[in-house]
Amino acid sequence: MSRSVSGKSGKLNHAWRIFATGFVFVLFGLGALFISLTMFPLLRLSTWNTAVARRRIQRGMQGTFRLYMEIMRVLGILTYTVEGGERLREPGRLVVANHPTLIDVVLLVSLMPSVDCIVKRGLWRNPFLRWPVSWAGYIPNSDGEELIEGCAATLRRGHSLLVFPEGTRTVPGRPLRMQRGAAHIALAAEVEILPVTITCDPPTLFKGNPWYRVPARRFHMHVVVGAPVASRNFRHGDEPPARSARRLTQWLLAYYGAAPEDEGRAEDAQRSAQAWLAAPAHRRAG
Amino acid sequence: MSVTPKSREEILTYLRNVLVELFELKPEQIVPEANLYTDLDIDSIDAVDLILKLKDLTGRKIQPQTFKHVRTVGDVVDAIEALMANPAA
Repeated sequence: MSRSVSGKSGKLNHAWRIFATGFVFVLFGLGALFISLTMFPLLRLSTWNTAVARRRIQRGMQGTFRLYMEIMRVLGILTYTVEGGERLREPGRLVVANHPTLIDVVLLVSLMPSVDCIVKRGLWRNPFLRWPVSWAGYIPNSDGEELIEGCAATLRRGHSLLVFPEGTRTVPGRPLRMQRGAAHIALAAEVEILPVTITCDPPTLFKGNPWYRVPARRFHMHVVVGAPVASRNFRHGDEPPARSARRLTQWLLAYYGAAPEDEGRAEDAQRSAQAWLAAPAHRRAG
Repeated sequence: MSVTPKSREEILTYLRNVLVELFELKPEQIVPEANLYTDLDIDSIDAVDLILKLKDLTGRKIQPQTFKHVRTVGDVVDAIEALMANPAA
């Protein structure tokens, strides 16, 4: 039998991981409050130049999330590996990722020294978090056109932007769905798309799964950074942008459909993505 | 500029061509009962493009709130028909 976590030590380990996960949630909440009142204001005050402050704050965000990942690793909640991580440090791309877990943002930002994120616009009404998110240059999730223009503008300035085209965490067992906003952003800014695939084994912290229902064993997150793809490849002549956005979104769906942990998706789409990709060269990094 | 009132059938034909051209839909999908969001997969960004395009037909600016309660292709036809029958509104 492959059930390695039966017996007394398995139960103890399970109880420990429930406790540790709860502890980490509280720690993240308090940590966010603490650094919003200390590190971020200090970084903001460290220079007159808002662009320099923004870079330092994004760097601080990376450091914080890196620390969070290490805390979770040391506590025995998870392990993680990254392939092609050096690509995440190159600027000016639209980084798109699938969204299996609650901590995808923590993991990806921990790997990126400088990246813009789209965050809930409600945070701009939060007395503690509104300043850090604006100093970091993060983008509020407004509606349609305005959001796309804001995202394209930051990419045109040479920044990287992280987007989850699904718009929310994946619901296991349901067909993968994506909004077309990410495609519109990449096309409007005429930048490369960097596709990132995240897998989590065993699945946990997915949509609809409460945090205390920890998996049977310590979970492993694996990040594969694919080869960048130019968005202009998806624009055919003078066609309406809505068409290019549909084509690009279909491609993304196929790309993630072809990811190892997803079976039973449209095979045609998988084949077209595989043909397009011609085997991306993922290099091992760490 | 005067606007010639058009029949519902003509409006539907025009709308069908616009939807096929803009969003690569199949002509046979564009029936009055088709839901724009669920059946035709038109999102809020697409809706802005569509409204811009419909301006060419009605010859005047369309307020987004005109389309607030629009759900189906038939609703769009109704809205255009009302706009064209009632140029002062």
